[in-house]
This record gives sequence, C-alpha cells and structure tokens, in this order.
Amino acid sequence: MISWLYLGVAVLFEIAVAFSAGNAQGFTRLWWTIATLVSGAIATFFLSLALLEFDVGVGYSIWTSVAGVGIVILGAVFFQERLNLRKLSGIAMVIGGVIGLRLSGAA
Amino acid sequence: MTNTTSNQANNGRAWIALLLAGAFEIVYALSVAGSEAFTVLSWSISAIVFFLLTLYALSVALKTIDVGIGYAVWAGIGAVGSAVFGSVLFEQSLTLGQAFWLAVIIAGVIWLKLASSEKLQADESGLTAS
Repeated sequence: MISWLYLGVAVLFEIAVAFSAGNAQGFTRLWWTIATLVSGAIATFFLSLALLEFDVGVGYSIWTSVAGVGIVILGAVFFQERLNLRKLSGIAMVIGGVIGLRLSGAA
Repeated sequence: MTNTTSNQANNGRAWIALLLAGAFEIVYALSVAGSEAFTVLSWSISAIVFFLLTLYALSVALKTIDVGIGYAVWAGIGAVGSAVFGSVLFEQSLTLGQAFWLAVIIAGVIWLKLASSEKLQADESGLTAS
C-alpha cells in the first residue's frame, strides 16, 4: 500500500515538471529550468521507490497517466481550459484502468 | 517553394526528435526500475542521463509539433515500451487482466492528450487549412 503513496507523491511532482517545463520556454528561463530539474529529480526518486514494488510497465504507466489527468484538471480549474466530453472520457478511462489494475492485484 | 521544403525538413527532424524522446523515455523508465531506489550506481546514472536526454529531445520536438499530439505519441511510446521491455528485461510477466487494464490506461492518456490538442480542435472547427 505504501508503494501507492510513493506513486502519488511522484505524480504530484511530475505535474510540477510539466508545469515548469511549459514555463521554461525551451529551457531559456533559468528559474523555471531549475524548477523543472528539481521536480524531475524528486518525481524520479519517488517513482523509483514505487517501482521496488510495482512492475515497471504498470507503475510507470499509472504514474505518467495520472499526472496527465492532473494536468488537465488543474488546467480546467486554474487556467480556464475547457473540459469537454472527450477529455472527460479520457480521464474516465485512466481512472477506470487504475482501479482495474488495483483490483487485479498489481501491487 | 523553398519555404515549403525547409518546413518539411523541420517537420521531419521534429518527428525524429519526438521518436527519440519516446525511446529515451523507455530507457529512463527501465533505468529507474533497475536502480532499485537509486542504490545501484550504473542504473542510477543511466536514469539521470536519459531523463535529461528525454527533456531535451522533447523540447526540440515540441517547438514544431503540436503539444497535444506530441505528448500523446511520446506518452504512448514510453508506456507501451516500458511495459513490453520491462516484462522481458526484468521478467515481470503481466496477467491477462493486468495487460487489459494497462491498455485501457494507455489508450486513455493518449486520447486525453489528443483531446487537449489545439491543432486538432482548430482543424475540426475548420479554422485552419493545414
């Protein structure tokens, strides 16, 4: 169960990576570039803790996909990006898949 | 005319950078797993190197390729690749049920990234000719 917590922390910092990299403008802005690298290091470390338990394909896919969902939801909440039916169905597939994996005993 | 040719060359290079970013991401994921929480030096160094290579290749690719489409392709390659090569390299065989749910997640994230593509949305509403 602790490995799911590690994965959750890794997801939060992966969202920070996407946000910082987006603001770093091709890594020409120093502080956003540093933020990208630091959050990437933390995300990677927590991913590595989770992968002690998870199979790499399963842990990695949950990590990157749930981060993707988080990015879209944050975009809708804070940056007024539209949530349409397609985005919602993609979010539902990711969440449904994670629940399915959990129930089928992937760590 | 020359403009079109150089645009196409740029586009080709960007897609090669994107495919490379996907391949680097697979090596990154495998290295993170192999590092066993950064206690194995060789895999740890490999993880750091391929993390930086991925960031660089992706940033080059996304200068030309639409972000939504680019992320969809990159995330798809990384997820499918790490599942396939992970099961071979670390002998982590998925059950049929796990493989099914994994496929649902990967399809979901690709679909989600494509739905976030400004270019595809613009194409559909007929705003751009390309």
